[in-house]
Amino acid sequence: MQNLDKWKALSLAALAAIVLVLPLVVKSSFAIDIFIRILLFSFIGVAWNLMGGYAKQLSLGHAAYFGLGAYTSTILQIDFGISPWIGMIAGGVVAMLASLPIGWLCFRLRGPYFTIATIATAQALMLIFLKFRDLAWGAEGTTIPNLGNAPLMMQFEAKAAYYYVALGLLVVGLAITHLIERSWMGYYLVAIGEDEDAAEAIGVNAPRIKRDIYMISSFLTALAGTFYTQYIYFIDPATAFSFSISIEAALVSIVGGIGTLWGPVIGTILLETTSTLLQSWLGGSVGGVQLTVYSLILMAVILWRPTGLMGMISEAWRRYVSRKPARA
Amino acid sequence: MWETVAQAVINGLLIGGIYALVSIGVTLIFGVVKIVNFAQGEFVMIGMYISFFLANQFGIDPLVSLVVSMPVLFVVGVLIQHFLIRRVLGPNDMPQIFLTFALSLLLLNLALMLFSANYRTVHTSYSDEAFHIGGLYVPVAKLIAFAVAMLLSGVLWVFLHTTDLGKAMRAAAQNRDVATLMGINPNRVFCVALGIALALAGAAGSLLMPFYSAYPFVGQVFTLMAFVAVVLGTLGNVIGALIASLMMGIAESLGIQYVGADSGLIVVFAMLLLTLAFKPSGLGGGRAR
Repeated sequence: MQNLDKWKALSLAALAAIVLVLPLVVKSSFAIDIFIRILLFSFIGVAWNLMGGYAKQLSLGHAAYFGLGAYTSTILQIDFGISPWIGMIAGGVVAMLASLPIGWLCFRLRGPYFTIATIATAQALMLIFLKFRDLAWGAEGTTIPNLGNAPLMMQFEAKAAYYYVALGLLVVGLAITHLIERSWMGYYLVAIGEDEDAAEAIGVNAPRIKRDIYMISSFLTALAGTFYTQYIYFIDPATAFSFSISIEAALVSIVGGIGTLWGPVIGTILLETTSTLLQSWLGGSVGGVQLTVYSLILMAVILWRPTGLMGMISEAWRRYVSRKPARA
Repeated sequence: MWETVAQAVINGLLIGGIYALVSIGVTLIFGVVKIVNFAQGEFVMIGMYISFFLANQFGIDPLVSLVVSMPVLFVVGVLIQHFLIRRVLGPNDMPQIFLTFALSLLLLNLALMLFSANYRTVHTSYSDEAFHIGGLYVPVAKLIAFAVAMLLSGVLWVFLHTTDLGKAMRAAAQNRDVATLMGINPNRVFCVALGIALALAGAAGSLLMPFYSAYPFVGQVFTLMAFVAVVLGTLGNVIGALIASLMMGIAESLGIQYVGADSGLIVVFAMLLLTLAFKPSGLGGGRAR
């Protein structure tokens, strides 16, 4: 057993080393762009997974918090000159506060109708930002003023810098997931995910736990929103509250392995690599190809491997371990 | 003033009939099979494209192509139940939600690949016709669509209440285990439920074609409308879904009239959120799940 832990620690260290030097070795900005997408969507997936994976509260409305994070930091930056680093945290707090009334409404429903209610809230927020021009630039959106190399305003000349910011976010997300997984809260979440009524019967305060995890999940999702806006220098309601953000958050977690620490990361690597290969193969000219392939992968996972890639990996690992003769 | 309100109500009521066909399908599947079909709107889209191509290639009137789109989608529904949904029926929500969700994504994006994002319309001899009653304006195509939709809903109601198969479906909806003990084959009943629901969606698509454009994303709005109507009308309740759909059509139309052209959906979302806040079990009472 100790051997196994040592292996785990060693492989984690190796992974960390590779991930840290990657942008120094790979100079192609196309490749770094893909790495950043992988880190960012892994992070969004990790945030979704806390609530959707462990507690099985299957939200398809996380774009609401992504958008709120993006708009909060951008409004603070453009109208008040406040650094997006502070705006990022402020966006997280706004998202957290917004999750309270939204959760109050949506948690009244369970199962698929919870999912529908989350879709509706995210769409309603998008419509509000589209409709009320005084609030935030309406449908046209706005570009973020380019200040050149201004690390204090979360703007960098080198793409690699964005890579490290996204990496930092992902590490924070994974660390929080790891801590929650090991704590009483993690067990409560899994109990709620397995059977909410049974969990309540043995004394789990399900509404409170669900509210708390929704707040954490929204906070993290909002950080991703700020980062993304700073990275692409542009914001409008259609991108900030895009339904595809909500979809991808859930998809990477389910494909990778719902309710596991590394599931969203592995799922994102698979899906983003697939999508990049498709784009270079077809030249990105045919609309709908990427999501067609995503939905086929999702269907295959649901029908044949509901535990996702993580389930396949741990199954293979167990088979490998059991084949080896036990050492004294 | 009175006339604008009445006109908005008429417009809403007529389109509400189409929403009713879609939401009756959703509520039927939910009632009998206990799953939510996220792809319902995409089957409306398929019905529209079937009618579009029949009209475009062979000059068949969309109302006539109803006799093609309904059976085709019935068969599609049976196949989807038998080969896909049957495999994920169980206590776990996740596979059920994401299977039909994946289906919706797949159909939408396949349509995008095959037919491009262009808007397709069919112009019929009655597309521009309208009755003028007093100061009010009633478009013929929408009136026909509404009438056929109500007729189909009535036929479904009679089917559910008088035939053995219909009664078996209602029995399975009330208590699946007891129904199975009574000799009802659940998978057969589920196949028929899916078939009927999809046939209704196909009918909605064909009925829409004389006055509405077909494009890959057209189904999304119908799915959303159907969800709201189904929550509003109490889950699994066919009559409730029908009445709620008509109400939503009217609410949307009044929203467009008095809040702004693009505000129809805002009104619908507001209705959903208000329902959730104050009457989560639907307007008719009943269970929230």
